[in-house]
Amino acid sequence: MNSNAGIDEIDVRIIRALQKDARTTFTDIARDCGVSTDTISKRFRKMEKAGVIRGTTILLNPKSFGHDCVASLGINVSYPHLNEVAELLRTIPEIVFYTSSMGRSDIFCIAVLNNVGRLSQVKDLIKGHPMVREVTTSIWVDEILLCPENFEFEHLDR
Amino acid sequence: MDKTDLSIIEKLTEEARTSFREIARELGVSPDTVINRYEALQETGVIRGSTVVINPKKIGYQAMAVFMIDASPTHIMATETTPTESSQILEKLIEMRNIIIATKTVGDHDLLAIGVARDFDHLTNIGADIAKIPGVKDLQVSFWIEKAELCPEYFII
Repeated sequence: MNSNAGIDEIDVRIIRALQKDARTTFTDIARDCGVSTDTISKRFRKMEKAGVIRGTTILLNPKSFGHDCVASLGINVSYPHLNEVAELLRTIPEIVFYTSSMGRSDIFCIAVLNNVGRLSQVKDLIKGHPMVREVTTSIWVDEILLCPENFEFEHLDR
Repeated sequence: MDKTDLSIIEKLTEEARTSFREIARELGVSPDTVINRYEALQETGVIRGSTVVINPKKIGYQAMAVFMIDASPTHIMATETTPTESSQILEKLIEMRNIIIATKTVGDHDLLAIGVARDFDHLTNIGADIAKIPGVKDLQVSFWIEKAELCPEYFII
């Protein structure tokens, strides 16, 4: 389907290993794949260069940094004023992710906040924008499960 | 957490594979210090793990979607130990292919899941699979095709 990705079985195994633990040594991955460490390191750099791999990072607990509240907001706006609302969102430092979307909401965003009180303020701030028609909020409870390993690669031609 | 911890976190956020030796050199401390701090940060749950960030577009994913799920009322008096409907749905969600974030929520819905889809057919299938999970009463979807306007550089999506 997407043959230009040029990803083969070894590439997928590298990604799978690093999804679980980005610090896995290339030597360990090489042993599992039955190839040389050099091959793994070459493949990794190739995927970085191609933009398949954007980087590696650690997963942090927001609570450890005093952010007790993670929430998502769905915003519906009066068309065609999406950009004006987006401008407001950019001024709110707690909003770490937003995208215009189709379907249930016009804008979907994720906010990392110190507490629920601040979420309420942020929601009121957004609701105060004249072009905003509706804001729905959902607070993410403690157990946020990140499962990057659910990415499928089976559809790729290889 | 002190300045050394925060510097270690900062380095590893940008590049989780940075060697402890290199971090130690930059911070002017011993590699053992960095290793001990890293292990302590993991034990106290500050660092929950590490992962590789891939670009979904490069591996054939055209769309991302957020699924907002309502669970059916169970009409069972729950106790602290009763597994709730939402917990059971959550367990199923995280086993689903192409779902990369899942959480229970308080507020507008009971659960939220973020997934990646190859095309509209695939998106529809993922939605249908979620709707089939026992206890799911209602499902709403928002999806986007372009890269999000604002996204942390090292967000898993």
